[in-house]
Amino acid sequence: MTIKLLMGNEAFAWAALEAGVNVVAGYPGTPSSELVETVARLHAEGTARGVHVEWSTNEKAALEVAAAASYCGARALFTCKQVGLNVASDALMSLNYVGTGGGLVLFVADDPGPISSQTEQDTRRFAAFAKVPVLDPSTPEEGYAMMRQAFELSERYGTPVIVRPTTRICHASTFFELPEFTDARPIPEQGFQKDPKWIIFPKRAFEGHGEVNRRLARIAWDYAFTPEFAQFNHVVEEPGSQQLAAGSDANATWVEAAAQSGHGHGGTAMPRGKVATSGESDVLAAADSNEGAAARVGIVAGGVSAQYAREALALLQQWAAEAGAALPPYRFLAVGTPYPFPAETGARFAEGLTDVLVLEELDSVLEEELLKLAGQRHLPLRVSGKLTGEAPDRGENSTEVLAQRIARFFDRTAAADTAPSEGGRATATEASAMAGGTEDQGASCAAKDGAGNAPAPSGLSALTERNLAASASAPYEGPLPVRPPVLCAGCPHRGSFFAIKKALGKTPAVFCGDIGCYTLGNAKPLDAVDTCLCMGAGITMAQGFAVAQPGIKAVAFVGDSTFFASGMTGIANAAYNGHDITIAVLDNATTAMTGSQPHPGTGVTLMGQRRKPLVIEEVLRALGVECITFANPHNLEESTEAARQAIGFSGPSAIIFRAPCIQLKRPEAPVAINGDACTGCKKCIRDIGCPAIGFNPAAEGLRSQHRGQAFVDTGLCDGCGLCVQVCPFDSIQGKVAEPLGAALHAALGVPIAPTAIPSDGPTGSFPPVIFEGETPAEAEEDIDD
Amino acid sequence: MINLLLAGVGGQGTVLAAKVLAKAAQAKGWQVRTAETIGMAQRGGSVTSHVRMGSCGEEVLAPLVTKGTADVVIAFEPGEAARALPFLAPEGVLVSATSAIQPVTAALAGTPYSGSAVVEQLGRSLEGSGVLFVPVDDQALVQAAGNRKALNMMLLAVAVAQNRIPISLDELKAAVEACVKPQFVAMNLTAIDLAAASC
Repeated sequence: MTIKLLMGNEAFAWAALEAGVNVVAGYPGTPSSELVETVARLHAEGTARGVHVEWSTNEKAALEVAAAASYCGARALFTCKQVGLNVASDALMSLNYVGTGGGLVLFVADDPGPISSQTEQDTRRFAAFAKVPVLDPSTPEEGYAMMRQAFELSERYGTPVIVRPTTRICHASTFFELPEFTDARPIPEQGFQKDPKWIIFPKRAFEGHGEVNRRLARIAWDYAFTPEFAQFNHVVEEPGSQQLAAGSDANATWVEAAAQSGHGHGGTAMPRGKVATSGESDVLAAADSNEGAAARVGIVAGGVSAQYAREALALLQQWAAEAGAALPPYRFLAVGTPYPFPAETGARFAEGLTDVLVLEELDSVLEEELLKLAGQRHLPLRVSGKLTGEAPDRGENSTEVLAQRIARFFDRTAAADTAPSEGGRATATEASAMAGGTEDQGASCAAKDGAGNAPAPSGLSALTERNLAASASAPYEGPLPVRPPVLCAGCPHRGSFFAIKKALGKTPAVFCGDIGCYTLGNAKPLDAVDTCLCMGAGITMAQGFAVAQPGIKAVAFVGDSTFFASGMTGIANAAYNGHDITIAVLDNATTAMTGSQPHPGTGVTLMGQRRKPLVIEEVLRALGVECITFANPHNLEESTEAARQAIGFSGPSAIIFRAPCIQLKRPEAPVAINGDACTGCKKCIRDIGCPAIGFNPAAEGLRSQHRGQAFVDTGLCDGCGLCVQVCPFDSIQGKVAEPLGAALHAALGVPIAPTAIPSDGPTGSFPPVIFEGETPAEAEEDIDD
Repeated sequence: MINLLLAGVGGQGTVLAAKVLAKAAQAKGWQVRTAETIGMAQRGGSVTSHVRMGSCGEEVLAPLVTKGTADVVIAFEPGEAARALPFLAPEGVLVSATSAIQPVTAALAGTPYSGSAVVEQLGRSLEGSGVLFVPVDDQALVQAAGNRKALNMMLLAVAVAQNRIPISLDELKAAVEACVKPQFVAMNLTAIDLAAASC
């Protein structure tokens, strides 16, 4: 055993390997990608024995590979990000009816914020829609434990199981104890057993639906009572050391407490009190024995919000203690098994409570389960959360935000206790007023908290605000530059976008972008992305534009990885229906945005063998694209000419811009600006917006006089030479990239014969992708070091 | 509990710096959690790494540092230091490199933002507070070390040299040896010594 610092995604990989996983297949997407990379690295170094790992062409392909392996009795793991599950959903929906053989786990990473995603969709919700059980870790350690149990659960019921971490679990690191080796579990000798059950006819679907419903009921029971699954749900009873005085004195206590409060806070601590997993049946007995301090309010949290809530409660407790007061008694439920919701755990938690605040990211999944529970069991329970505006309706949670929300909740419920006519519960009128809707992010919901009520009492809230304000440094006063992500200095996409715009000149055009680094082409000054919807959409959307607005040139941009993942059906559609579009394939020989993963066009596989790369122009040609041009995007003249020819072609055409991502190559010598020649015209900045070129208004030169001059950040410059070609005064010195090649030039604008493509053609001929058993973090180390 | 926040621009090496701090904490037997910015922001956007250490044996719960509780903020760029200010504890230490990295937006607008102006403003606004502000002439350090890639380790060294967190320079060096590839250890250790000597 050794102890290593692992990122959550690495820990998930280890857990799956320790569970004997045989087949791992996925498609990259932040924040999920490191799992497959870790398995591949451990396989390459001989640590993970007997496992097959692959990047599949897309998520649907990956899930189908994993499903069949499971049919054979293998343990299989599928990975993707939340929107990747949309792509795999067709397979998942039927697969759940058909059932599985060996344990089949879907690792689907959600991205609250969103930080690097198109949507804030909630995979817990997707799981419920697909009727697939889901586990939702609150820490990497819990995720590690869940991954192992997920395989057990899958095999116990023949169901796929989803493990759904969020970004702050995937990309959070902590230390783990690891074995020296892992071995895949032997695949059962009998292998795949032919049986009509694997064929999804309508009759089978009806049967399967019944099986799904029955097993979900059993799993909900397991989640509540079977220790290996119930361990992921925790109930804590927090008695509070000093009860607030009952009646109107309560408010006075808090006001006084707030006034006495000191600054700052030291270490945090877990709330005291009895901790029990929901599998233990003595939780309520413990609650009842708390000498008259039985909680009437409860807090429910799921995922990483459980950790924020725990920390927030510890802070509130500390602030209250410093002010000579205490929190009211409360009960805390952390839910790690959101679907099928363990109703029995919920019921035991809710017993005796009048008010519950639900804290979760993305959708109101747990909140709705609590509402359902209250309805089904006629509980006198008021449930608050996203639906009532008492919890943030989107984005990430944080300790400080949850501290504020919990404080308001405690204040409101304490106030309700003092209003006997309401009996501590919302009236029907209030309830409907509170269900009014969600709030705007960032806007205070203090006013809404009390919709229909008297203004919320300010006791604990005031104390919380005071403590948060006391600990906050004075905000920086003064302008700060916004710093959005940009295409890297030397990124080949910059030249591609610029050449297309140059070739179009004043021709009206619409630019259909896609998913990848090149979405960043939307930023000024390139301003070359008008739409971005989902993987592969650019090519097909361009066709819709071409049909609806034939006078406007529709140009689609697609990266090489996206091309193989979901671009090809759109190209077939363009050829079949004769749409007049131009497809710019930005071939940088890698899946750059997610950390340089290989794809079919690179020929590099995760199992170590090099395969014959799929050649993009051959695919285009086979799919019926008759005009294909080529250019090195760092060579402006060649690129502009290639773009001009393709754009001028009537019918579907393509330009292949081919140059490797800067992460795959050594930088060229940086360019230099000749201070005597620079006129300070800023054309280099206004045309291409490279992050390595800045402007110094104080610089003076022969020709720039007092206008200032451009300067090059030599630490960032990759020496691509695009700016050298843009400067009208030859004041930037550096090497200009060679054109892609005469052999390919010969084919410009005319149907290319397969023989015109060199057998070891340019696709895949770049230096191999950074993949010598390195994780992205280690790859970055190389750069850092 | 020790909370540290590393703030910088995508590509500056905050991820490795956080890893080194985590290793140093683990060597002392503390529980530790880090959280990284990975994804689109790494393409030249603002990035942060959170590092939380249970230095008194306490359990680290949340992965993110709560605003107003960072004992040390290590900024790799002055604008990012200013942006991270809300995380700093009232008695905290702010270590910040002083050279600005110009975002494309600033170059386009023709109004580059001034790193030195931000540093001056930071100094003014923190004056009289309990915060210890340590501007670091990163250009000079990089020149002395002869390698820009070691800037992350040099900033860590300056932070440790302030003696506000119970991690020594030797413990930092041991963590570096454990985290970076053997061929880069000597270079990083020399850079750390240079930076510590400059304090």
